Amino acid sequence: MPDIISSDLLLILLPIMVIQLILMIVALVDWVKAEETNGPKWVWLVIILLLNIIGPVIYFIFGRRQK
Amino acid sequence: MQWTTLFKKELLENWRNKKWIWFPLVMILIAIMDPLTTYYMPLIIDAVGGMPEGTVFELPEFTPTDVIMMSLGQYSIIGVIVIALISMGTIAGERKSGVSELILVKPVSYKNYILSKWASLNVLVWFAACLGLFASWYYVNILFGELSFLALLQIIFFYGLWLTFVLSLSIFYNALLKSPGLILFATIATIVTMSIVTQIFSHVLSWSPNKLSSHIIEMLQTDQIGSALWGAAVITVALSIGLIISAIYIFRKKEMAA
Repeated sequence: MPDIISSDLLLILLPIMVIQLILMIVALVDWVKAEETNGPKWVWLVIILLLNIIGPVIYFIFGRRQK
Repeated sequence: MQWTTLFKKELLENWRNKKWIWFPLVMILIAIMDPLTTYYMPLIIDAVGGMPEGTVFELPEFTPTDVIMMSLGQYSIIGVIVIALISMGTIAGERKSGVSELILVKPVSYKNYILSKWASLNVLVWFAACLGLFASWYYVNILFGELSFLALLQIIFFYGLWLTFVLSLSIFYNALLKSPGLILFATIATIVTMSIVTQIFSHVLSWSPNKLSSHIIEMLQTDQIGSALWGAAVITVALSIGLIISAIYIFRKKEMAA
């Protein structure tokens, strides 16, 4: 029984996890390419990696520096 | 044509700063979160545990209409904040960095400048809202029961007008104010104030833009588009156009003075 539950739960979370993964990868690629960010660069890496979903989004909104 | 060039430039810029990637993803996420967690709530409670043996939960039955309205409810809160966030610097940021001066020193009309910004963000917001609500509709159909495709199109159309209104409000404040943070605050404060006023005077203000969602529920339940929904839609469009015209007027006046 516990196995069924966990595989079902996995199925629920799958779309959310995929979206989260894409967000994180896009944010990371952008972070690597960026020469400068608003504030120290390494802080943004921590934010992108550690804060699920919200991390990449706040990086895109606040971290990128307009040229 | 000048307008097309500016419009393409805006689309390209929104692509370069990755708004075209993350904003639709976030809108999908917001939209599907509630249908999924609502359906699997018993499973989630089981998996998280901590319930004494024999606890029985009476979970209410949800109709497809209830669930898709949950997605709209999330859009009305988180969605509006994210839209305000992506649009808060669209003109104010360019003013700060001096890009707007570079553009406006050429014979670019203020009207085209503001309209291109408004239109390009509208395309992005509508695209993202379509994707998100489609995803939500898909899950609702699988998990909760049938909701017709026509109903989805109607929801997208009428709710999209509300999102356009939020965007127009933000562009208006962009023309008026200089700091992106202030624009964000003003946009959200205006929306909140409007919703409070609409709630208090709800019997008089049945055509207020804030009432669009509740009219959409009625539409889904009665299966026909009521006159109140059309009224609210017309008022929303009219207010959006009014905001954009005032934005152009204010922007022209301010730039002339500067």
